[in-house]
Amino acid sequence: MDVILELKQATKHFRGVYAIRGIDLQLARGEVHAVLGENGAGKSTLMKALAGVHELSDGEIHMEGKQVHFHSPSDALEAGIAMVFQETNLVPSMTVAQNIFLGDEKFLNRLRGLHIDAQQYLLSMNFDVEATALVNTLGAAQRQMVEVARATHHNAKVIIFDEPTATLTPEEKSYFFGLVRRLKEKGISILFITHALEEALQYSDRLTIMRDGSLVESGDTKDFDRDSIVRAMVGRSLENELYGSRKGIEVPVRKPGKKLLSVENVTKGKIVRNTSFSIYDGQITGMFGLVGAGRTETMQIVSGAIKRDFLNGGEIRLDGKPVRYRVPRKAVNDGIVYITEDRKMDGFFETMSIAENIWMGDLAGGSNPASIVTMTKAKAKELAAHWTKKLSIRAINSSAKMLELSGGNQQKVVIAKSLVQKPRLVVFDEPTRGVDVGSIVEIHDLINELADAGIAVVLISSYLPEVLALSDRILVARQGQVVEEMTAHDATEERIMYAAVH
Amino acid sequence: MIRALLDRTDKFLGRGKYSIAVPVMDGPLHPNHKLDHAAHLFDAKDIDNLTLIGTDIWCSSGAALLRVSADGTPEVADTFDAPITCLAASGDGATAIGVDGGGIYIRGGAHNGRHIEKLGGNALKCATAVAFEDDHSLVITVGARDRVHAEWKRDLMTQGRTGEVWRVDLTNGTGKMLAGGLGYPYGICPTPNGLAVSEAWAHRIILIDESGQITPVLEDLPGYPARLVPDTAGGYVLAVFAPRNQLVEFVLREPEFLHAMTTQVPSDHWIAPKLMWGQGFKEPMQGAALKTMGIIKPWAPTWSYGLVVSLDDGFAPVASYHSRADGNRHGVTSVCAQGDKILVASKGAGVCVALSPNAVAEAN
Repeated sequence: MDVILELKQATKHFRGVYAIRGIDLQLARGEVHAVLGENGAGKSTLMKALAGVHELSDGEIHMEGKQVHFHSPSDALEAGIAMVFQETNLVPSMTVAQNIFLGDEKFLNRLRGLHIDAQQYLLSMNFDVEATALVNTLGAAQRQMVEVARATHHNAKVIIFDEPTATLTPEEKSYFFGLVRRLKEKGISILFITHALEEALQYSDRLTIMRDGSLVESGDTKDFDRDSIVRAMVGRSLENELYGSRKGIEVPVRKPGKKLLSVENVTKGKIVRNTSFSIYDGQITGMFGLVGAGRTETMQIVSGAIKRDFLNGGEIRLDGKPVRYRVPRKAVNDGIVYITEDRKMDGFFETMSIAENIWMGDLAGGSNPASIVTMTKAKAKELAAHWTKKLSIRAINSSAKMLELSGGNQQKVVIAKSLVQKPRLVVFDEPTRGVDVGSIVEIHDLINELADAGIAVVLISSYLPEVLALSDRILVARQGQVVEEMTAHDATEERIMYAAVH
Repeated sequence: MIRALLDRTDKFLGRGKYSIAVPVMDGPLHPNHKLDHAAHLFDAKDIDNLTLIGTDIWCSSGAALLRVSADGTPEVADTFDAPITCLAASGDGATAIGVDGGGIYIRGGAHNGRHIEKLGGNALKCATAVAFEDDHSLVITVGARDRVHAEWKRDLMTQGRTGEVWRVDLTNGTGKMLAGGLGYPYGICPTPNGLAVSEAWAHRIILIDESGQITPVLEDLPGYPARLVPDTAGGYVLAVFAPRNQLVEFVLREPEFLHAMTTQVPSDHWIAPKLMWGQGFKEPMQGAALKTMGIIKPWAPTWSYGLVVSLDDGFAPVASYHSRADGNRHGVTSVCAQGDKILVASKGAGVCVALSPNAVAEAN
């Protein structure tokens, strides 16, 4: 094996807590290598150590046979290692070309030349991105392309992706893996962290599994299957827990309670078109649809995050009374909470602690502004302790910043921040996107508990096994409209998909 | 003043009471074909108002009162001058029979021969439902004070709100109005908490207590509710005689168009709900695909529909039985629980069907 990058006994600890310990890892030239593990297993720390973000506490990094020491990401980049972070590191107000050349500019730069060079470079990589476009106008997949272009422009020989597909649509995912294939053909080695086991099994040559900061298994992908990966990741088989609640086991479908929400002919531009449905207490209502089906936007209208059409925008009734929320606060006061699909952008304050984030949720939920006065920091700590225990949020303590948490734990904080508002209707939008399998089981248990407690739950998910495993009732949306309703007993993947595309 | 301004704003923006949104049939009201698959009992033109007297099924058919014999054949038991609009039986063998424009006749029992012609000084023209509270007390819904029942469509399109609920003491024939200003009350059922009344034009069921206080218990129905009866499991069964429709809701909010339509066009051709659609080429059609390749789509918007809803003891829907656009058991005006079966009168189709215990158990 032509090894390009090697880690020997890599160890990193923060304030005495080991994030990774004694990791040995080899990456071959032109290899696609997947790194898997639960949240908090140390994957991101390991990758950040390779990319120069963290310095190792102990151990060695060898690049092309020579030992290297990285004190900053630019050291790593110089050595040929580039990292594409979960949250892309582009400057949104600059053009694609400016972002590609950022940090590598000449003393005097002609913008026109920069754009032409960047366009040629993008075309040479077969990337369909306009060099003159501002980055904030690009979609997630295109931003990732720009990140990759920037990495390869710096002659990176190893590119590390941290959960590259977490925010991509299915179409964008297939495009992304096409890009990975092309990079591999050029002899570039790829390391990617993923929670999607299917992606690891389908696209990687080798994979490494981590648990609690240690390397558990590493080997050729063909020697693994889904169950053996899960067993290695969590130390037990989750076959019946993960998406298995209705698989082979006769789970009674919850009967609908009182009609809580009635959405009637709601319209919002061309995104939500005359959609109508009802939500009942004590039931999980799954909402499935392809990207662009308007599920998120519909529930955002319900929760006051966006507004429906001003003229003839339809009606929304809560408990039979028409409601029209101009801001989410009013909806929160009425017991409607929406847990966003994009937690990094809309879900939490990343530089604040767990306790402060949950506190914010409680403050936002207060119908009386005077409640801010009675809401002390001590009470906030109590709240945080309660929810950290209830949702098994794993962190050093409740003063840990959100930035320091893994994706699954961040998601749990976002959920806690909403549940602290004592909702009557909870909308989970892609609740397990970018979340490890162990946390997925915990989040699913929580969703079931909420419904069992009589709360109305809406589950928006693009992952059919998740919709099928959790929902008592499934609504299928297509082109801005709910077009089909089925019970959990009647639903199959084929029926749902048929309704979603026909 | 502010109210008037807000009203004008709502009207301009199409929201609040000017919204033409209609609730969707989903959850327990999810469409099926159970009414179309229900067992056929007998045919009777303009069948209406089923009731059980002992173990016998009685119903009205136009101006005739029918009794269904043991072999399932309906026989004429009595005939009146005008169509029968409501029917009820008491424990002591008395029957109350409402006649369109002619009040209510009592046959049998302790008050045999009593004729309730007037209520509160007004002629009783439109008794839509009647129920015995006990052998001497009758509760009556009056759909419209000044119209006969045959003019129900005109009452809807002129947004009539002259419906009343009365209690009549049969010993002396005096009545007491329990509620007024209602939008065509069309069904009544005594319950432990008061009188449950279906208010058709308001698409809701209300509870009227002894003090006359009105409490809505089921609102925003996707159709126009008709008769409401108790079932044998402690809940209720509701007949819904026509579907709500966005086009009708729109027309109801356009007074000039409404006036022109109701004064110049025969009522059969109005943009309005019906008990049965598709009975003439002059009937207005909607701009949606009613038929594709000669097949009527079940989801097509039509003027008529068949719907029976099972409610629990708190009036929350738990199951429903439908005859959709492609079915023909539409215009269900009356239901009746017989053991674990539900008997259904489809006035639009002129047929009585029975929902089997299996269908009822499966739906619940």
